[in-house]
Amino acid sequence: MVKHESIEMITRAYNAMIKITDKVRDAVSNSGISNGVVYVITAHTTTGITVNEGLECLESDIQVMLDKMVPEDGDYSHARFLHSYGAMAGNPTGHLKSHLTGNNVVFPIIDGKMKLGNAQDIYLCEFDGPQEREIMITMIGE
Amino acid sequence: MAKRITIDMHTHPAFSETICLTPEQEKFAQDMYGLYKTEVSSDEMQLIYMDVAGIDKAALLPLDLTSTAGGCLASNEDVLTLVNKHPDRFIGFASIDPHDPAALEKLEQAFAEYKLSGLKLHPSKQRFYPTEDCMEDIYAMCEKYNKPITFHAGMSVEPDTLSKYAKPENFEEVAYYHRNLRFCLAHFGWPWTQETCMLLLKYQNVYADTALLYFDSAPEFYEQVFTIDMGKKWIDRSFRHQIMFGSDDPRLEMIRMKRAIENMDMRQETIDLIMGGNALEFLGMEG
Repeated sequence: MVKHESIEMITRAYNAMIKITDKVRDAVSNSGISNGVVYVITAHTTTGITVNEGLECLESDIQVMLDKMVPEDGDYSHARFLHSYGAMAGNPTGHLKSHLTGNNVVFPIIDGKMKLGNAQDIYLCEFDGPQEREIMITMIGE
Repeated sequence: MAKRITIDMHTHPAFSETICLTPEQEKFAQDMYGLYKTEVSSDEMQLIYMDVAGIDKAALLPLDLTSTAGGCLASNEDVLTLVNKHPDRFIGFASIDPHDPAALEKLEQAFAEYKLSGLKLHPSKQRFYPTEDCMEDIYAMCEKYNKPITFHAGMSVEPDTLSKYAKPENFEEVAYYHRNLRFCLAHFGWPWTQETCMLLLKYQNVYADTALLYFDSAPEFYEQVFTIDMGKKWIDRSFRHQIMFGSDDPRLEMIRMKRAIENMDMRQETIDLIMGGNALEFLGMEG
Protein backbone atom coordinates (compact mmCIF):
# COMPACT_ATOMS: atom_id res chain seq x y z
CA MET A 1 0.00 0.00 0.00
CA VAL A 2 1.18 3.53 -0.81
CA LYS A 3 -0.30 6.64 0.80
CA HIS A 4 0.51 10.23 -0.09
CA GLU A 5 -0.13 13.20 2.16
CA SER A 6 1.16 16.74 2.17
CA ILE A 7 1.78 19.45 4.74
CA GLU A 8 1.28 23.05 3.71
CA MET A 9 2.64 25.86 5.81
CA ILE A 10 3.65 29.49 5.71
CA THR A 11 7.16 30.14 6.94
CA ARG A 12 7.74 33.42 8.74
CA ALA A 13 11.45 34.13 8.54
CA TYR A 14 14.17 34.47 5.90
CA ASN A 15 15.97 31.45 7.35
CA ALA A 16 14.42 29.11 9.91
CA MET A 17 14.36 25.56 11.18
CA ILE A 18 10.82 24.40 11.78
CA LYS A 19 10.01 21.15 13.55
CA ILE A 20 7.53 19.02 11.63
CA THR A 21 7.93 15.77 13.58
CA ASP A 22 4.42 15.77 15.01
CA LYS A 23 2.82 16.47 11.65
CA VAL A 24 4.67 13.54 10.07
CA ARG A 25 3.84 11.32 13.04
CA ASP A 26 0.16 12.17 12.66
CA ALA A 27 0.23 11.39 8.96
CA VAL A 28 1.74 7.99 9.69
CA SER A 29 -0.77 7.22 12.44
CA ASN A 30 -3.66 8.10 10.13
CA SER A 31 -2.31 6.19 7.14
CA GLY A 32 -3.43 2.71 8.20
CA ILE A 33 0.04 1.36 7.43
CA SER A 34 1.43 -0.92 10.14
CA ASN A 35 4.85 -1.73 8.78
CA GLY A 36 6.82 0.08 6.12
CA VAL A 37 8.64 3.35 5.56
CA VAL A 38 7.77 7.02 5.44
CA TYR A 39 9.49 9.51 3.16
CA VAL A 40 9.37 13.21 3.98
CA ILE A 41 10.23 15.28 0.91
CA THR A 42 10.22 19.03 0.32
CA ALA A 43 8.61 20.32 -2.86
CA HIS A 44 11.06 23.23 -3.14
CA THR A 45 14.68 23.97 -4.08
CA THR A 46 15.37 26.59 -1.42
CA THR A 47 14.29 24.51 1.56
CA GLY A 48 15.74 21.43 3.15
CA ILE A 49 14.48 18.49 5.15
CA THR A 50 16.80 17.29 7.85
CA VAL A 51 16.99 15.45 11.17
CA ASN A 52 18.72 16.51 14.31
CA GLU A 53 18.18 16.84 18.01
CA GLY A 54 15.38 19.30 18.70
CA LEU A 55 17.33 21.84 20.69
CA GLU A 56 17.34 25.59 20.15
CA CYS A 57 21.11 25.74 20.60
CA LEU A 58 21.69 23.19 17.88
CA GLU A 59 19.28 24.96 15.55
CA SER A 60 21.35 28.09 16.06
CA ASP A 61 24.65 26.26 15.52
CA ILE A 62 23.41 24.66 12.32
CA GLN A 63 22.27 27.98 10.93
CA VAL A 64 25.53 29.68 11.87
CA MET A 65 27.46 26.86 10.23
CA LEU A 66 25.42 27.17 7.04
CA ASP A 67 25.83 30.97 7.03
CA LYS A 68 29.61 30.53 7.22
CA MET A 69 29.61 27.97 4.43
CA VAL A 70 27.23 29.97 2.24
CA PRO A 71 27.61 33.67 3.11
CA GLU A 72 25.05 36.16 1.84
CA ASP A 73 27.81 38.31 0.33
CA GLY A 74 29.50 35.45 -1.52
CA ASP A 75 30.35 35.46 -5.22
CA TYR A 76 27.59 33.45 -6.87
CA SER A 77 26.86 32.77 -10.51
CA HIS A 78 23.16 32.59 -9.63
CA ALA A 79 23.02 36.38 -9.32
CA ARG A 80 21.78 37.48 -12.70
CA PHE A 81 18.65 38.26 -14.65
CA LEU A 82 16.65 35.14 -15.52
CA HIS A 83 14.74 35.70 -18.73
CA SER A 84 12.47 32.71 -18.09
CA TYR A 85 11.29 34.36 -14.86
CA GLY A 86 11.56 37.98 -15.95
CA ALA A 87 13.25 38.56 -12.62
CA MET A 88 16.60 38.46 -10.91
CA ALA A 89 17.99 35.30 -9.41
CA GLY A 90 18.56 36.63 -5.93
CA ASN A 91 18.51 33.49 -3.85
CA PRO A 92 21.70 31.51 -4.50
CA THR A 93 22.24 31.03 -0.78
CA GLY A 94 18.84 29.37 -0.48
CA HIS A 95 19.64 26.92 -3.26
CA LEU A 96 23.09 26.08 -1.89
CA LYS A 97 21.91 25.60 1.68
CA SER A 98 19.14 23.40 0.35
CA HIS A 99 21.74 21.39 -1.53
CA LEU A 100 23.76 20.92 1.63
CA THR A 101 20.79 19.96 3.75
CA GLY A 102 19.14 17.62 1.30
CA ASN A 103 15.52 17.39 0.27
CA ASN A 104 14.25 14.35 2.17
CA VAL A 105 14.49 11.97 5.09
CA VAL A 106 13.14 8.46 5.56
CA PHE A 107 12.08 6.55 8.67
CA PRO A 108 10.67 3.11 9.38
CA ILE A 109 7.04 2.54 10.29
CA ILE A 110 6.71 -0.18 12.91
CA ASP A 111 3.42 -1.26 14.47
CA GLY A 112 1.63 1.73 12.94
CA LYS A 113 4.05 4.32 14.31
CA MET A 114 7.01 6.20 12.89
CA LYS A 115 10.16 4.89 14.58
CA LEU A 116 12.49 7.73 15.60
CA GLY A 117 15.57 7.70 17.75
CA ASN A 118 15.10 9.30 21.16
CA ALA A 119 16.88 12.52 20.19
CA GLN A 120 15.58 12.83 16.66
CA ASP A 121 13.32 15.52 15.29
CA ILE A 122 12.43 16.22 11.69
CA TYR A 123 12.88 19.77 10.42
CA LEU A 124 11.77 21.79 7.47
CA CYS A 125 14.64 24.22 6.86
CA GLU A 126 13.58 27.49 5.26
CA PHE A 127 16.35 29.22 3.34
CA ASP A 128 14.43 31.79 1.29
CA GLY A 129 11.45 32.78 3.37
CA PRO A 130 8.92 33.79 4.17
CA GLN A 131 7.00 31.66 1.71
CA GLU A 132 4.14 29.22 1.37
CA ARG A 133 5.70 25.77 1.46
CA GLU A 134 4.60 22.20 0.75
CA ILE A 135 6.10 19.04 2.23
CA MET A 136 5.19 15.72 0.62
CA ILE A 137 4.82 12.66 2.81
CA THR A 138 4.85 9.28 1.09
CA MET A 139 4.20 6.14 3.15
CA ILE A 140 4.87 2.69 1.72
CA GLY A 141 4.00 -0.50 3.57
CA GLU A 142 1.29 -2.92 4.60
CA MET B 1 13.32 59.10 19.90
CA ALA B 2 10.53 58.21 17.48
CA LYS B 3 10.81 54.92 15.66
CA ARG B 4 11.84 55.26 12.05
CA ILE B 5 9.04 54.48 9.64
CA THR B 6 10.11 52.28 6.76
CA ILE B 7 8.25 52.71 3.48
CA ASP B 8 8.68 50.72 0.30
CA MET B 9 7.72 53.23 -2.38
CA HIS B 10 7.73 50.80 -5.29
CA THR B 11 5.54 47.69 -5.21
CA HIS B 12 3.12 46.27 -7.75
CA PRO B 13 -0.20 44.92 -6.43
CA ALA B 14 -1.52 43.21 -9.57
CA PHE B 15 -0.91 39.67 -8.25
CA SER B 16 -2.90 40.21 -5.05
CA GLU B 17 -5.58 37.57 -4.58
CA THR B 18 -8.00 40.32 -3.55
CA ILE B 19 -8.00 41.84 -7.01
CA CYS B 20 -6.53 39.18 -9.32
CA LEU B 21 -9.56 36.95 -9.39
CA THR B 22 -9.30 34.86 -12.57
CA PRO B 23 -6.61 32.86 -14.40
CA GLU B 24 -7.01 35.33 -17.27
CA GLN B 25 -6.15 38.24 -15.00
CA GLU B 26 -3.13 36.38 -13.66
CA LYS B 27 -1.94 35.61 -17.21
CA PHE B 28 -2.44 39.26 -18.21
CA ALA B 29 -0.31 40.39 -15.29
CA GLN B 30 2.38 37.82 -16.07
CA ASP B 31 2.50 38.81 -19.73
CA MET B 32 2.39 42.56 -19.17
CA TYR B 33 5.07 42.60 -16.47
CA GLY B 34 7.05 39.80 -18.09
CA LEU B 35 6.94 38.02 -14.75
CA TYR B 36 6.29 34.63 -16.27
CA LYS B 37 6.49 32.51 -13.11
CA THR B 38 4.96 34.91 -10.62
CA GLU B 39 1.63 33.71 -9.29
CA VAL B 40 -1.30 35.18 -7.40
CA SER B 41 -0.45 35.51 -3.73
CA SER B 42 -2.45 36.17 -0.61
CA ASP B 43 -2.54 39.49 1.17
CA GLU B 44 -1.62 37.60 4.33
CA MET B 45 1.58 36.42 2.65
CA GLN B 46 2.37 39.94 1.45
CA LEU B 47 1.96 41.35 4.95
CA ILE B 48 4.13 38.60 6.43
CA TYR B 49 6.75 39.37 3.84
CA MET B 50 6.65 43.05 4.74
CA ASP B 51 6.88 42.17 8.44
CA VAL B 52 9.92 39.96 7.95
CA ALA B 53 11.55 42.61 5.76
CA GLY B 54 10.81 45.26 8.39
CA ILE B 55 8.66 47.39 6.09
CA ASP B 56 5.86 49.34 7.72
CA LYS B 57 4.09 50.57 4.63
CA ALA B 58 4.17 49.82 0.92
CA ALA B 59 3.12 52.07 -1.94
CA LEU B 60 0.93 50.18 -4.40
CA LEU B 61 1.63 51.22 -8.00
CA PRO B 62 -1.01 50.18 -10.54
CA LEU B 63 -0.78 50.76 -14.28
CA ASP B 64 -3.55 51.66 -16.71
CA LEU B 65 -2.81 50.07 -20.08
CA THR B 66 -6.18 50.71 -21.65
CA SER B 67 -4.93 51.97 -25.02
CA THR B 68 -1.86 49.82 -25.39
CA ALA B 69 -3.10 46.49 -23.98
CA GLY B 70 -6.81 46.80 -23.22
CA GLY B 71 -6.57 46.40 -19.48
CA CYS B 72 -5.11 47.50 -16.19
CA LEU B 73 -2.46 46.07 -13.93
CA ALA B 74 -4.74 46.83 -10.99
CA SER B 75 -7.37 49.52 -11.48
CA ASN B 76 -7.75 52.55 -9.25
CA GLU B 77 -10.75 50.81 -7.71
CA ASP B 78 -8.62 47.72 -7.03
CA VAL B 79 -6.04 49.85 -5.26
CA LEU B 80 -8.76 51.51 -3.20
CA THR B 81 -10.03 48.06 -2.17
CA LEU B 82 -6.57 47.01 -1.00
CA VAL B 83 -5.96 50.25 0.85
CA ASN B 84 -9.33 50.00 2.57
CA LYS B 85 -8.49 46.45 3.69
CA HIS B 86 -5.12 47.44 5.13
CA PRO B 87 -5.07 51.22 5.55
CA ASP B 88 -2.19 51.07 8.01
CA ARG B 89 0.04 49.10 5.62
CA PHE B 90 -0.72 50.23 2.07
CA ILE B 91 -0.36 53.60 0.35
CA GLY B 92 -2.46 53.62 -2.79
CA PHE B 93 -1.44 55.28 -6.03
CA ALA B 94 -3.67 55.84 -9.04
CA SER B 95 -2.88 55.27 -12.67
CA ILE B 96 -4.46 56.67 -15.79
CA ASP B 97 -3.76 56.16 -19.45
CA PRO B 98 -2.61 59.53 -20.81
CA HIS B 99 -4.15 58.73 -24.21
CA ASP B 100 -7.52 57.80 -22.73
CA PRO B 101 -10.04 60.62 -23.36
CA ALA B 102 -11.41 59.97 -19.87
CA ALA B 103 -8.00 60.17 -18.21
CA LEU B 104 -8.53 63.48 -16.42
CA GLU B 105 -11.94 62.50 -15.13
CA LYS B 106 -10.53 59.22 -13.79
CA LEU B 107 -7.63 61.03 -12.19
CA GLU B 108 -9.82 63.54 -10.43
CA GLN B 109 -12.01 60.71 -9.15
CA ALA B 110 -8.92 58.91 -7.86
CA PHE B 111 -7.73 61.98 -5.97
CA ALA B 112 -11.00 63.61 -4.89
CA GLU B 113 -13.19 60.58 -4.22
CA TYR B 114 -10.78 57.70 -3.61
CA LYS B 115 -8.19 59.85 -1.82
CA LEU B 116 -5.34 57.99 -3.48
CA SER B 117 -1.92 59.31 -2.63
CA GLY B 118 -0.23 59.80 -5.99
CA LEU B 119 -0.08 58.86 -9.65
CA LYS B 120 1.96 56.13 -11.35
CA LEU B 121 2.86 56.48 -15.03
CA HIS B 122 5.10 54.39 -17.26
CA PRO B 123 6.14 56.26 -20.43
CA SER B 124 7.72 53.21 -22.05
CA LYS B 125 4.82 50.86 -21.44
CA GLN B 126 2.11 53.46 -22.02
CA ARG B 127 3.94 54.90 -25.04
CA PHE B 128 4.02 58.60 -24.29
CA TYR B 129 6.64 61.28 -23.85
CA PRO B 130 6.50 63.27 -20.61
CA THR B 131 6.30 66.52 -22.59
CA GLU B 132 3.37 65.56 -24.80
CA ASP B 133 0.53 68.08 -24.87
CA CYS B 134 -1.88 65.66 -23.23
CA MET B 135 0.31 65.59 -20.12
CA GLU B 136 -0.10 69.25 -19.17
CA ASP B 137 -3.61 68.87 -17.76
CA ILE B 138 -2.51 65.75 -15.88
CA TYR B 139 0.35 67.62 -14.26
CA ALA B 140 -1.99 70.49 -13.42
CA MET B 141 -4.41 68.07 -11.77
CA CYS B 142 -1.61 66.61 -9.64
CA GLU B 143 -0.57 70.11 -8.61
CA LYS B 144 -4.16 71.05 -7.81
CA TYR B 145 -4.46 68.11 -5.41
CA ASN B 146 -0.83 68.27 -4.26
CA LYS B 147 -0.23 64.67 -5.34
CA PRO B 148 3.16 63.38 -6.55
CA ILE B 149 3.88 61.28 -9.62
CA THR B 150 6.09 58.22 -9.80
CA PHE B 151 7.33 57.78 -13.36
CA HIS B 152 8.97 54.66 -14.55
CA ALA B 153 12.33 55.98 -15.74
CA GLY B 154 15.23 54.42 -17.60
CA MET B 155 15.25 50.95 -19.09
CA SER B 156 12.33 48.64 -18.49
CA VAL B 157 12.69 44.87 -18.55
CA GLU B 158 8.97 44.54 -19.23
CA PRO B 159 7.97 43.37 -22.71
CA ASP B 160 6.90 45.91 -25.34
CA THR B 161 8.77 48.80 -23.83
CA LEU B 162 10.98 51.29 -25.64
CA SER B 163 13.56 53.04 -23.53
CA LYS B 164 13.47 56.25 -25.57
CA TYR B 165 10.26 57.35 -23.83
CA ALA B 166 11.72 57.16 -20.36
CA LYS B 167 15.19 58.64 -20.55
CA PRO B 168 15.65 60.93 -17.55
CA GLU B 169 16.43 63.99 -19.68
CA ASN B 170 12.89 63.73 -21.08
CA PHE B 171 11.61 64.82 -17.68
CA GLU B 172 13.58 68.05 -17.37
CA GLU B 173 10.89 70.26 -18.83
CA VAL B 174 8.35 68.74 -16.45
CA ALA B 175 10.58 69.64 -13.52
CA TYR B 176 11.32 73.07 -14.94
CA TYR B 177 7.77 74.15 -15.74
CA HIS B 178 6.09 72.47 -12.77
CA ARG B 179 8.16 73.48 -9.77
CA ASN B 180 5.34 72.59 -7.39
CA LEU B 181 4.96 69.11 -8.81
CA ARG B 182 6.95 66.47 -6.96
CA PHE B 183 7.87 63.49 -9.09
CA CYS B 184 10.04 60.43 -8.74
CA LEU B 185 12.22 58.88 -11.40
CA ALA B 186 11.82 55.24 -10.50
CA HIS B 187 14.70 52.81 -10.87
CA PHE B 188 17.03 55.85 -10.66
CA GLY B 189 16.61 56.13 -14.42
CA TRP B 190 19.15 53.35 -14.93
CA PRO B 191 21.31 53.16 -17.01
CA TRP B 192 21.18 56.96 -17.38
CA THR B 193 21.95 57.57 -13.73
CA GLN B 194 24.14 60.60 -14.51
CA GLU B 195 21.13 62.25 -16.15
CA THR B 196 19.09 61.45 -13.06
CA CYS B 197 21.82 63.02 -10.91
CA MET B 198 21.72 66.13 -13.09
CA LEU B 199 17.98 66.46 -12.51
CA LEU B 200 18.24 65.76 -8.78
CA LEU B 201 20.89 68.46 -8.50
CA LYS B 202 19.01 71.08 -10.50
CA TYR B 203 15.46 70.45 -9.28
CA GLN B 204 14.48 69.82 -5.71
CA ASN B 205 11.04 68.66 -6.78
CA VAL B 206 12.67 65.62 -8.42
CA TYR B 207 13.16 62.39 -6.48
CA ALA B 208 14.50 58.96 -7.42
CA ASP B 209 13.93 55.50 -6.00
CA THR B 210 16.19 52.53 -5.41
CA ALA B 211 14.19 49.90 -7.30
CA LEU B 212 17.03 48.85 -9.55
CA LEU B 213 18.83 45.54 -9.82
CA TYR B 214 19.74 44.21 -13.23
CA PHE B 215 23.10 42.56 -12.66
CA ASP B 216 24.78 40.76 -9.77
CA SER B 217 23.41 40.85 -6.22
CA ALA B 218 21.73 43.88 -4.71
CA PRO B 219 24.81 44.94 -2.68
CA GLU B 220 27.10 44.50 -5.68
CA PHE B 221 24.83 46.40 -8.05
CA TYR B 222 24.24 49.25 -5.61
CA GLU B 223 27.98 49.52 -5.07
CA GLN B 224 28.52 49.76 -8.83
CA VAL B 225 25.75 52.29 -9.47
CA PHE B 226 25.90 54.41 -6.34
CA THR B 227 29.64 54.45 -5.59
CA ILE B 228 31.44 53.82 -8.90
CA ASP B 229 29.16 55.10 -11.67
CA MET B 230 28.28 57.94 -9.32
CA GLY B 231 30.54 59.68 -6.85
CA LYS B 232 30.81 57.70 -3.65
CA LYS B 233 29.41 60.51 -1.50
CA TRP B 234 26.87 62.03 -3.87
CA ILE B 235 23.84 60.51 -2.19
CA ASP B 236 25.08 61.06 1.35
CA ARG B 237 26.12 64.67 0.72
CA SER B 238 23.88 65.99 -2.03
CA PHE B 239 20.83 63.80 -2.64
CA ARG B 240 19.99 62.57 0.86
CA HIS B 241 16.59 64.29 0.78
CA GLN B 242 15.62 63.06 -2.68
CA ILE B 243 16.19 59.30 -2.67
CA MET B 244 13.46 56.89 -1.57
CA PHE B 245 13.62 53.18 -0.91
CA GLY B 246 11.75 51.09 -3.44
CA SER B 247 12.02 47.35 -3.92
CA ASP B 248 10.11 46.68 -7.16
CA ASP B 249 8.31 43.79 -5.45
CA PRO B 250 7.40 41.23 -6.77
CA ARG B 251 10.12 41.42 -9.45
CA LEU B 252 12.74 42.04 -6.80
CA GLU B 253 12.71 41.05 -3.15
CA MET B 254 12.06 43.46 -0.33
CA ILE B 255 14.27 41.70 2.20
CA ARG B 256 17.46 41.69 0.17
CA MET B 257 16.89 45.12 -1.41
CA LYS B 258 16.29 46.72 1.96
CA ARG B 259 19.27 45.02 3.55
CA ALA B 260 21.51 46.22 0.70
CA ILE B 261 20.49 49.85 1.21
CA GLU B 262 20.84 49.64 4.99
CA ASN B 263 24.35 48.22 4.65
CA MET B 264 25.61 50.99 2.36
CA ASP B 265 28.38 53.20 3.64
CA MET B 266 26.30 56.28 4.44
CA ARG B 267 25.35 58.28 7.51
CA GLN B 268 22.56 56.68 9.53
CA GLU B 269 20.48 59.85 9.07
CA THR B 270 20.76 59.42 5.32
CA ILE B 271 19.69 55.78 5.54
CA ASP B 272 16.71 56.81 7.66
CA LEU B 273 15.70 59.46 5.14
CA ILE B 274 15.94 56.99 2.27
CA MET B 275 14.00 54.32 4.14
CA GLY B 276 11.03 56.51 4.99
CA GLY B 277 11.56 60.16 5.79
CA ASN B 278 11.83 61.25 2.18
CA ALA B 279 8.75 59.27 1.23
CA LEU B 280 6.71 61.18 3.79
CA GLU B 281 7.88 64.45 2.26
CA PHE B 282 7.24 63.19 -1.25
CA LEU B 283 3.74 62.11 -0.33
CA GLY B 284 3.02 65.36 1.46
CA MET B 285 2.37 63.46 4.69
CA GLU B 286 3.25 64.51 8.21
CA GLY B 287 6.52 63.05 9.47
